[in-house]
Amino acid sequence: MVTDSQENDQILLATAGYDHTVKLWQTHTGMCQRTMQHSESQVNALEITPDKKYLASASYQHIYMYDLSSNNPTAIINYEGTSKNVTCVGFNKDGKFMFSGGEDGRTRIWDLRIKNNVTCRNIFDSRPGSGTTLSPINCAVLHPNQIELFLGDQNGIIYRWDLRIDQHEQYIPENDVMILGIDISHNGTQMACVNNKGKAYIWNLTAAGSDGTTHLAPRHKFEAHKRAALKCKYSPDSKLLITTSADQTAKIWDTENYNLQQELKQENQRWVWDAAWSADSQYVFTASSDSFAKLWSVEKGTVERQYAGHQKAVTALSFRDIYI
Amino acid sequence: MALYDNKYWLLSHIRNSFMSTDDTGMCEVVMIGETQDVKERFFSQEAFADPDDNEDDDDDDDETGSYDLQMDADFGIRDRSMTAARLEKLENNSKKSQRVKHVKWEPRSTSMEENNDTAGDLFVRADLPSGDQKKSGLSILMEQFTHLPLNPYMEYARYDGSGQVNIPTRRYRIFLTMLPEEYRHYPLFICCIATAKIQDLIGLILLKFSTTYSDFTLKSVSNYGLYITEEDGEVDSDFPNLDPKECVAKFGFNCLGLVEHKDPTKTVSFQTTEEKVSSPDSGGGKKRTTSASKAEETKQLKEMMVMDVHNKAMEAPLYKSYRVSLVNKLRWWNMEVHLGISNDKIDVDPIVQKNSKLQLVKVTPTSHSMETIVWCQEQETRGNKMTFEIIYACIMSTKVSDRMNAYPNSAYMSSLPSSPSFKHYYFEAEKEVAEEIVNKINMILTLNSSPCRREYVAAKEKKLLLSRRGLFR
Repeated sequence: MVTDSQENDQILLATAGYDHTVKLWQTHTGMCQRTMQHSESQVNALEITPDKKYLASASYQHIYMYDLSSNNPTAIINYEGTSKNVTCVGFNKDGKFMFSGGEDGRTRIWDLRIKNNVTCRNIFDSRPGSGTTLSPINCAVLHPNQIELFLGDQNGIIYRWDLRIDQHEQYIPENDVMILGIDISHNGTQMACVNNKGKAYIWNLTAAGSDGTTHLAPRHKFEAHKRAALKCKYSPDSKLLITTSADQTAKIWDTENYNLQQELKQENQRWVWDAAWSADSQYVFTASSDSFAKLWSVEKGTVERQYAGHQKAVTALSFRDIYI
Repeated sequence: MALYDNKYWLLSHIRNSFMSTDDTGMCEVVMIGETQDVKERFFSQEAFADPDDNEDDDDDDDETGSYDLQMDADFGIRDRSMTAARLEKLENNSKKSQRVKHVKWEPRSTSMEENNDTAGDLFVRADLPSGDQKKSGLSILMEQFTHLPLNPYMEYARYDGSGQVNIPTRRYRIFLTMLPEEYRHYPLFICCIATAKIQDLIGLILLKFSTTYSDFTLKSVSNYGLYITEEDGEVDSDFPNLDPKECVAKFGFNCLGLVEHKDPTKTVSFQTTEEKVSSPDSGGGKKRTTSASKAEETKQLKEMMVMDVHNKAMEAPLYKSYRVSLVNKLRWWNMEVHLGISNDKIDVDPIVQKNSKLQLVKVTPTSHSMETIVWCQEQETRGNKMTFEIIYACIMSTKVSDRMNAYPNSAYMSSLPSSPSFKHYYFEAEKEVAEEIVNKINMILTLNSSPCRREYVAAKEKKLLLSRRGLFR
């Protein structure tokens, strides 16, 4: 299917989950544009590169890279070497490197630049403190300054990893409650994390010291959901935060006082796994276990579009909007 | 070594393998039950090897927290030799991997030092983005398409099997009878999952159809039926439509025709459906509009009729086979035969009924040279059926006539007091078919007149004359 205008082509929505396919959607009609095969395992996380040319899918032991500009239904690059599930994947702003975290407790930096065929890699181990055992990394986010990576792990520890000097710090909001989602607001002033007890923790971030190291100051703590919270995402204007949960809802909070602004709820939609904002923070996409991806109006709290076509739960989505 | 009664191992197994295998959603319930102490014990046991001795990883699976998924584990029926299956899998994998670029993780010790300088410009501090308000391309599209009518068949998108892996799918070529003539012969390729029902398949077809031909107004799924169709798109009207409630996997046909039913509750015979489809003004004005006016249509119709006659004359000498029944005058039963007609001869080929115990008379196929055929005419019409008569002479080849005696009807002489060398066949067929056959044979007969026929016609005229004379006497 060919879209009419170049503009349409640039708005990309990709979804994936347990049915071993990755689907690309035409956002305003709800039609599936392309289906790519992901035959070996489920998809844990999806991310479209900043230049919108490739799509990375984090899965069991692999990160696969798909070419979005061709019609190739199979992956073109296979990043291997992780011994267990890769749980999160992301890119820096100009697409020079990719970071991934996995259940093997390691966070990896993959150099995507092609330079004399030598690739520089960087590795970080989360250390829960008991010998050589590593606790699984569940989520990771790159600070907008592009040099600090924040990780959340199974034991409830948040790590701040300075990529240049390879040093890290630990923060423990609540002991032994696994952190499932982490995000930093786009203006770099706040960080949020959610855990499997449905609690959300907010920090104020400030650049401190001569080298501009980020300093964390606890700001707020609240019960976002009754059951496990799975993801949190700040809106592009940094004014709203969305949390998704196993309690079959996604909730939108303001970032001033963290009051509930909107509850995105639909009968039988089951777990809401992932979310993504439109560039102007007016719409939000969610992925849920009822095998649908949905587009919600933030203001009205209504479902504007449904993306039907997956056979099983949709657990990951990635969206790249265009700025006009 | 972990055993299946080891609750930690089981928990780990559920935790890590549910994702790829669980269809029921029960895994989510199990996940909740994971208590803190189990987890602690579980992860404190977890041992992870250093990057240097990665080779051992595979052996340690049972002890590590993440039970490694074995997607290719051979559960259940062993249908083929495992070696063969494995070899094929390896081959497929290697074929696939040829096109995939592999990037293998290397331990940091080897790469970091020599690349310290490159790492420097990899991690560059960026300025925080300014908070200026941006307009979203998505929002603009959503504003433009606020009243976009939702495709009513969208719910059937989930039955689309294209691109699916690891689940059985079925591929179809669908002929859409509601399309204009010139497009009708190009099938729509549909791939659907094998567990879908026929009505789901219809919904999926309509979804694809509505996106491909957007100017058509389509009705709800229950208004359509799927019929078995020839490779060339000719819908087979002898069979009813496929039961919409049945699973698609039950039927083995790859070519299907989508036909709109006049009455959604029951299937309608084909003639009416076809007429409905081709007439532009049916369906309450909602149907497509054609530019052809009424006058043009009648003109076209006339031209087509002329062409039809011409075609029939041209085709008459060509061989064609019809399925008709040979009428037994005693009305015991009618025997199904193939009647093959060409310029040279007429073949009568009985269709062998496999399970018929009533086969009282053994019938052998016979062939009559066109030279011996003298007369063909329609007889009586009963309902949809019509009987017609073929008279032939058996003087030319005694062999044939000898064989003809095997036919019960060969004993019946013509009502005309003609010479015993003329014998009759009585056939019964659908009215249209019967008319076509009679036309065809008469066309051939007029094209090449044989001595036999002349003799027969002369005898008939003589008889007629005689009877008239008798009348006047």
